[in-house]
Amino acid sequence: MSKIRICNTAEIPSNGMKEYDTEGGLKVLIANAGDTYYAYQGLCPHQEVCLAEGYYDGAVLTCHQHLWQWDITTGKEVGTLAEVPLEKYEVQVEDGEIFVVQSSALKAAQLFMDVSDDTLQRLDLLARREKYGSGGVLYNIGDPTDDLYILESGRVEFLIGRDGTSPAGFVLRKGEVFGWAALLENQERRIAKATSLEDSVLLRLNGEATLKALESDPVSGYLVMRKLSTLITRHLGSQGEK
Amino acid sequence: MKIQVNARNRAYQFETTEGEKILYAGLSEAIGLPYECASGTCGTCKARLVSGEVIDGWPEAPGRKYLKDDDEFLMCQCAAKTDVSIEVASFVQPIEADVCVPAAMKGVISSARLLTPDVIHLQVRLNQPMEFDAGQFMLVQAPGVAGYRGWSMVNHQREAESLEFIVKKKPGGGISEWLFNTDCEGVEVDLFGPLGQATFYPSLAKNVLCIAGGSGIAGMLSILSRAAQNDYFSQYKGDVFFGVQTLKDAFFLDEFSKLRTLCGDNLNVVIALSKEEAPASALNDHPQLKFDTGYVHDVAGRHMQGGYQNVRAYLAGPPPMVDAAIRVLLQARMTTDNICYDKFS
Ligand SMILES: Cc1cc2nc3c(=O)[nH]c(=O)nc-3n(C[C@H](O)[C@H](O)[C@H](O)COP(=O)(O)OP(=O)(O)OC[C@H]3O[C@@H](n4cnc5c(N)ncnc54)[C@H](O)[C@@H]3O)c2cc1C
Ligand code: FES
Ligand code: FES
Repeated sequence: MSKIRICNTAEIPSNGMKEYDTEGGLKVLIANAGDTYYAYQGLCPHQEVCLAEGYYDGAVLTCHQHLWQWDITTGKEVGTLAEVPLEKYEVQVEDGEIFVVQSSALKAAQLFMDVSDDTLQRLDLLARREKYGSGGVLYNIGDPTDDLYILESGRVEFLIGRDGTSPAGFVLRKGEVFGWAALLENQERRIAKATSLEDSVLLRLNGEATLKALESDPVSGYLVMRKLSTLITRHLGSQGEK
Repeated sequence: MKIQVNARNRAYQFETTEGEKILYAGLSEAIGLPYECASGTCGTCKARLVSGEVIDGWPEAPGRKYLKDDDEFLMCQCAAKTDVSIEVASFVQPIEADVCVPAAMKGVISSARLLTPDVIHLQVRLNQPMEFDAGQFMLVQAPGVAGYRGWSMVNHQREAESLEFIVKKKPGGGISEWLFNTDCEGVEVDLFGPLGQATFYPSLAKNVLCIAGGSGIAGMLSILSRAAQNDYFSQYKGDVFFGVQTLKDAFFLDEFSKLRTLCGDNLNVVIALSKEEAPASALNDHPQLKFDTGYVHDVAGRHMQGGYQNVRAYLAGPPPMVDAAIRVLLQARMTTDNICYDKFS
C-alpha cells in the first residue's frame, strides 16, 4: 500500500475515532489522542465487526462485541481477552490532512511488530513476496526448514501425518507467521505440508539471515523471541493462559 | 456424521447425531467451541463450511447478520447433513477439567409461580443430577415451541437435582406465551447445559459487583448464594444493583434481605427504580436494602465511584442495559477481563 489520503484532521473528534473506507476497499479507523493521530484496521480481528462502533476513551480501544482491547498508541493487546494486536498503519499529517502509509509489509506481521525501524528495514530487504495459486505447495513434509513465511492475503492449509493428508487444522490470519521452525535449533525438517487454498500472497524470509539481523539488534531480537515462544505455547494448546 | 473442526491452533474431530446442532455436539465432547448466547442471536459461534452440507434450523436467526460470506453459518443453529469439515477463526482449547461439560438432558417443570404479573419462577426437576457453576445458564426447549431459550440458574448446589429459573414475559414471545398462558406444571422439557462463562468461584478472591436488569438478577442470585455458602463476604465486598421500572416490578426482596443478614455489611444491595422514587413503605419493609432512582447502570456508577479496586463485575439483562453498564465500567477504567456479562438477547 502506498500513501492514501483519508480525511481532514477536523473530522476526527478530540480523543475520538471515525472509520473510513478507502478506494482500495480497505476499512481504516482513525483515532485521535491528544496531538497525535493513529490509523488501524477498521474491522475487529476477532469477528470483523466495525471497531468504530466500540468504545474509545483516548487511550484504550474496546471492541463492543466481545470486549477485546488494544492500546491506541501501539495497537497491542490490553488485558487477557484479545488474542491478536491490531494492524497499524503509519500516519502522516500534512496541512491538516491525514494520510495513511504502509512502509513495510512486515510491520503487519505480529512477530515483528516490536522490532526497531532499522532492523525492520533490514528484514524488509530479506523478504521476498511470492504468489501461490489454489493448490500451490509452499513446502512438503521432510523439506529443509530454511525459510519462514508471513501470510499477506489468501488462505493456507497444513497437512500432517505420514502421507501428508490429514489436516493439521491451523487456520491462519493475515499477518500471521508460519514455518517458524526456520528460527529454531534442531528443527531441520518440515513436519507438515503447507499448501495454498486460494490465490495467496506470502512474504518469505530466510531463517538464518533473519536470525543474523536480529542478533545485531538484541533488543528487537529478544522481543521477537518472546513473541515466538508465546506463539509456540499457544499452538501446543497450552492452557496456562486462563 | 463426522465433524472436523480446524481452529487457529489445532484440529478436532467429533461425531453428531441427526439433527444435533454442531455447537452442542462439540461442547458435549468438551471442545471449547466459541459461543455466547448459544441460541442464534449473537453471531459468536460463526464458522466457515469447507466441505459437506449443513441444515440450518433457523434461517431467520438474528445472529446471521454477523455472517459475511455464503459459506459461513452459525454452529448453534446448524446440524450436519453429511460429514463436514469447518473452520473456526479463533483459538479453541479443550474445556478445562474443572469446568462442567454440558450435556443434553430432560426435566419436568415441578413448580411455576408468578412473582409479579410478568415474571414467573420455575423449578425444573432433572432426570439426572447436574453440576454447574454459579452464573451459568441452561438451554430449555418446551414442547411445541421452536428453538431453545437460554435461562440463567437462580439456585446453586453441588449435584443439583432441580434447577430454578426466573423468566420475564416477552409479549408475543414464543415461550412467554406458552409459559404465561398454559398450566405448565408437570410438563416435560428438553435441556442442554450448563453453559456460560460469566461464572463465579470463591477462589476468585476479588470484590464482586453485580449489575442486573429485570430477570438478569437470576444469575446474580446463584453467584450470591455460592458466595454466601463460602462465607465469601467476610473477606470481600459485594455490591449488587438490581434494576426494575417500579417497585411493583421488583421481586426477591425478602431473599435479598435474608442474604444481607447472612453476609453482613460487606454486602450492599441497591434496588434501582427507573420510573419512580421508592415509596417510604419500601424502606420500612426492607430496612437492609437501599433504594435509588434511575437506570441501573447510572445508579451503579454513582454508588461505585472510587470503589473499583480489585473488582470482578457480572452484568446481565437486556442488551442495551448491559452495553450501558459496560460503558460505565470502562469509563471507570476497569479492564475487560474483569467484566463478565450475559446479554439476554
Ligand atoms: C445467556 C442468556 C441467558 C438468559 N437468561 C434469561 C433469564 O434468566 N431469564 C429470562 O427471562 N430470560 C433470559 N434470557 C432470554 C431468554 O432466552 C428468552 O429470550 C426469553 O425468555 C424470551 O423468550 P420468548 O420465547 O418469549 O421470545 P422469542 O422472541 O419468541 O424468542 C426468544 C429467543 O428464542 C430463540 N428462538 C426463537 N425462535 C426460534 C426458532 N424458531 N429457532 C431457534 N431459536 C428460536 C432465540 O434465541 C430468540 O432470541 C437469556 C438469554 C441468554 C442469551
Ligand atoms: S468481534 Fe471484536 S471482540 Fe469479538
Ligand atoms: S452462540 Fe450462536 S449465535 Fe450466539
